[in-house]
Amino acid sequence: MTGVPATPGGPSAHSLSRRSFLRGLTAAAGLTLGGAALSACSTPVVSGLGVSRKAAGSLDYWNLFGGGDGVRMETMEAGFEKANPNIALSAVTLAWGNPYYTKLSLATLGEKPPGVAVSHLTRMKNLVAADLLEELRAEDLARFGLTRDKFSDRPWEAGLVDGKVYAIPLDTHPFVMFYNTDLCKKAGLLDSDGKLKPMDSPEAFKAALTKGKQASGKYGAVVAVTNEPATPWRTFWSFYSQLGGEWLADKGARVTIDDAKAMQVLTFLQSLSKEGLIPSIADYQGTIATFASGGSAFYFQGEWEITTFQTAKLPFSMTLFPNVFGGGRYAVQADSHTLVIPKQADRSPAVIDRGLTFIRSMLDQSKTWAEGGHVPAWKPFLESDEYKKMTPQSQYAAAADSAAYDPEAWYSGSGSNLEIICGSSIGAMVMGQLTPQAALDQMHTKLDVLAATKSPI
Amino acid sequence: MSSTQMIPRQAADAAATERRGRGRQLHEGRTALWFLAPFLLFYLLFIIGPAIYGLVMSFTHASLVKSGLNGWAGLANYTEALQSSDFWSSLWHTIWFTILTTPPLIAIALGLALLADRAGRGRWFYRLAFFAPYVLPSAVVALIWMWLYTPSLGLLDTTLTKIGITPPNWLGSESFAMWSLAITTVWWTLGFNFVLYLAGLQDIPRELYEAAAIDGAGPWQQIRTITIPMLGRTTTLVAVLQVIASLKVFDQMYLMTSGGPNFATRSILEYIYDEGFTNFRVGYASALSTLFFIVVLIVSAGWFAIVRRQEKEV
Amino acid sequence: MTTSVLDRPRARAAGTTVRQVDSRTRLFNGICIGVLIAFALLWLIPLAWAIDTSLKPNSETVKTTWWIDNPTIAAYTNTLQNTDMLKWYGASFITSALTALFTVITASMAAYALSRMRFRYKNVVFWFILAGIMIPGQVLIVPQFREFSSVGLLNTFWAVIFPQVPTAIAVFIFKQFFDGLPRDLDEAARIDGAGAFRIYRTVILPLTRPALAAVAIFTFVFSWNHLLWPLLVLTNPDLMTIPVGLATVQGSFGIRYADTMASAILGALPLIAVFLLFQRNIVEGIAGTGLKG
Repeated sequence: MTGVPATPGGPSAHSLSRRSFLRGLTAAAGLTLGGAALSACSTPVVSGLGVSRKAAGSLDYWNLFGGGDGVRMETMEAGFEKANPNIALSAVTLAWGNPYYTKLSLATLGEKPPGVAVSHLTRMKNLVAADLLEELRAEDLARFGLTRDKFSDRPWEAGLVDGKVYAIPLDTHPFVMFYNTDLCKKAGLLDSDGKLKPMDSPEAFKAALTKGKQASGKYGAVVAVTNEPATPWRTFWSFYSQLGGEWLADKGARVTIDDAKAMQVLTFLQSLSKEGLIPSIADYQGTIATFASGGSAFYFQGEWEITTFQTAKLPFSMTLFPNVFGGGRYAVQADSHTLVIPKQADRSPAVIDRGLTFIRSMLDQSKTWAEGGHVPAWKPFLESDEYKKMTPQSQYAAAADSAAYDPEAWYSGSGSNLEIICGSSIGAMVMGQLTPQAALDQMHTKLDVLAATKSPI
Repeated sequence: MSSTQMIPRQAADAAATERRGRGRQLHEGRTALWFLAPFLLFYLLFIIGPAIYGLVMSFTHASLVKSGLNGWAGLANYTEALQSSDFWSSLWHTIWFTILTTPPLIAIALGLALLADRAGRGRWFYRLAFFAPYVLPSAVVALIWMWLYTPSLGLLDTTLTKIGITPPNWLGSESFAMWSLAITTVWWTLGFNFVLYLAGLQDIPRELYEAAAIDGAGPWQQIRTITIPMLGRTTTLVAVLQVIASLKVFDQMYLMTSGGPNFATRSILEYIYDEGFTNFRVGYASALSTLFFIVVLIVSAGWFAIVRRQEKEV
Repeated sequence: MTTSVLDRPRARAAGTTVRQVDSRTRLFNGICIGVLIAFALLWLIPLAWAIDTSLKPNSETVKTTWWIDNPTIAAYTNTLQNTDMLKWYGASFITSALTALFTVITASMAAYALSRMRFRYKNVVFWFILAGIMIPGQVLIVPQFREFSSVGLLNTFWAVIFPQVPTAIAVFIFKQFFDGLPRDLDEAARIDGAGAFRIYRTVILPLTRPALAAVAIFTFVFSWNHLLWPLLVLTNPDLMTIPVGLATVQGSFGIRYADTMASAILGALPLIAVFLLFQRNIVEGIAGTGLKG
């Protein structure tokens, strides 16, 4: 490419044979693999080149469940396939958080969305506002027995948009308190029934944690604050909601933080780490490791970690997150997983029905899902004896009724910018990098910018 | 034949040739169009067209989930961008990434090329070792390095712990994450510069070295006085390609840290992606893209000036 | 009496190094080679470790040792069964091959016109195209997405191929190359009555093989490795190219590290093969860039 036509002098006979041998080998391998590839993808090739041909009777399902939840979901998918052999299910798991919702939105805009997908309740509302979801009409739902009375009140009501149904709640997954039964017994925190004594005030809470610290020798409680914005936010939001504070108004266009209440919670949280009751540096996996090895009496996180500790054979139980500030009004941060049907290019009843068949099948397998710690939204199972016998799951079921969902805004929801901004500030404060006032100011500044931005949906 | 008779004939021939020439010129115009058409069609439809459309959108509140332009915004997007700490910090992250990767990618590549040049035999082995990573897709590189960086279980953590060093929080520390991405990037793209330098080195006439050796210059002196100056143009090329490529970095951040922790590694392009495709704000993202383009333009113009100056010196 | 090293006659074959018995130089050379080998081995470790991990059963990956207790290819079979890897191979191959094909055809034709033909506004067209080098593709993703969305071409291979075809640099490279070809061949063919296209096809193209090969291979490789744009337009897992597919399912492997590494190695194989096959073209192509610069 220097402007002079290259005339290779011709490789010697030696290297020619070596090179052609290598070529032949790679070509042979390539042909075999390529043949396999092309036969596997003849339909995608056709649809990729523009002639859309979707296999009749197939259903694409997207979710964001990894880890233990992922395994459980795979079991439920298998259950669906067994009961519905005529529907070819194709399930895809995508990374949790913004990437999932971005991909779901782009797929719907690209007119090739999945036939059914998971969505957090808090994010589903934004999807509706962006006109990316199908409305689920009462007649269709009735045919599959998905009527109002079969669902818990709180998640159902919270999921309505202008009175219309766009999502079917599968569960509520609240923030809960795990406790090491051995350590708590040693610390004298259990009552005669072996249940944890309530910690209904800041003083009682701190006292319990202090006793727990003495029993464990390390910490009273562990809660993830490092490289983890969701957990600090959930902790804060639970306490703040117990105080009854507001956060945003007008779908996020106005910031209505009650500074006094916020400061109350922030100073309380910081005092916990200052007094050594909780570690000041602890990331998600670290807190699990500490609790699992008996390094703390309490552990605050979503209920989904239940399997981790069951597998570790730790003597533990779970209960409602403490009502430290609420008095008569209990609140705890929670979100719900819902199943939605993205706006389809082909709106035929058959397509919608396949999605609804899947949804019904998932609800029927609520037991499997509840084993993962989630609180079922499906009343036929929730109110059954079978569920009531599940311990410790049934012990915190009441949290679903007092769920404090994240405030509504186009930039809010599980894994959203709101969570990242606020959670990082709160986490930094617990880690000692910011004062409570500085953390509050940082949240104000950043949220003001978002609030002032014209909503894109 | 007398010369006087030849002149009119020559003149006639010349005139005929010129006429034919002009005719061919016009004829060539149409043929040229046919040859240019395919490229120009793609170019207009997919480069120029979108460029203009993007510029127009940058003055609107266009949204990904709404059709049309969704309302005129004037310069609001630009003022928001220029006042946005997210914009400036993502620009800074990109520059920081460039600063972290460019010197090693030049110095190490040059050093290794010098060594390989000296080694003579076995060059194919070195070329394979250093260049093989370059052909890998970023997703493969990301998977491999995320496994290497895995806390406790990753090779790096266990190796460092074994020799008694506390491993850093590779991808989870706000301050260190960019270093980890830089290390991965150096591993990934060094091979290209290595090959470039190797070719440049082989172009330096041996006689220069031999003459210097006769004059008593040691190997290090030879490198300093002959090699490095003669590689000046190659180094400029490498440096500029490197800087411009670093400005456009996206893959490593998206795949390995999602721009985190807490947006600490979000590059300018990833910020554009987040705003346009996660937040649906395509009008704002178009304004960001225009600003990004201006930055790239300034850097490219700087290169042009440097190369021009170098050419003048030569 | 020994002759000083400086008095040794200079006549020797070109290319041979000065054979100084200088122990300093020999030591220096030894160190050089040592350092070089060390770096090369260091550079090979990540890929080697990935392969090593992929041959372990998932449960054994937590033991961070090179030694494999129970070597198995289960990770590979798992990945091939549970992901759409084979479909991704196909998608990558088709999009990259077509992109390379279209790029080479359109760019070489345009370059031929710019190099060989005279017409009005030729300079204008040339600079117009060259200006395209200044516009990085990444700047255009937002309007391009909108464009494809509005004509309903999202989630097709065309959406991936078309924006990558107009490559101004390829035009530039071909033009440089054509400028260097002697014009007598053109003239000879023209006198024989060949039209421009005939000349292009039968005279110019065969001579352009090195440039064609280089541009085709580079375009193929870069197109294959493209992430950002295909990520936006290919959201249907059936259609994803390898980088997009790997990026999308990367979270769902969880702690199944052997499977993850197997998918990475499978993703790397095609291009390693291309590299091994076309090493010479690739290296010469890069070297050419350097010389041109």
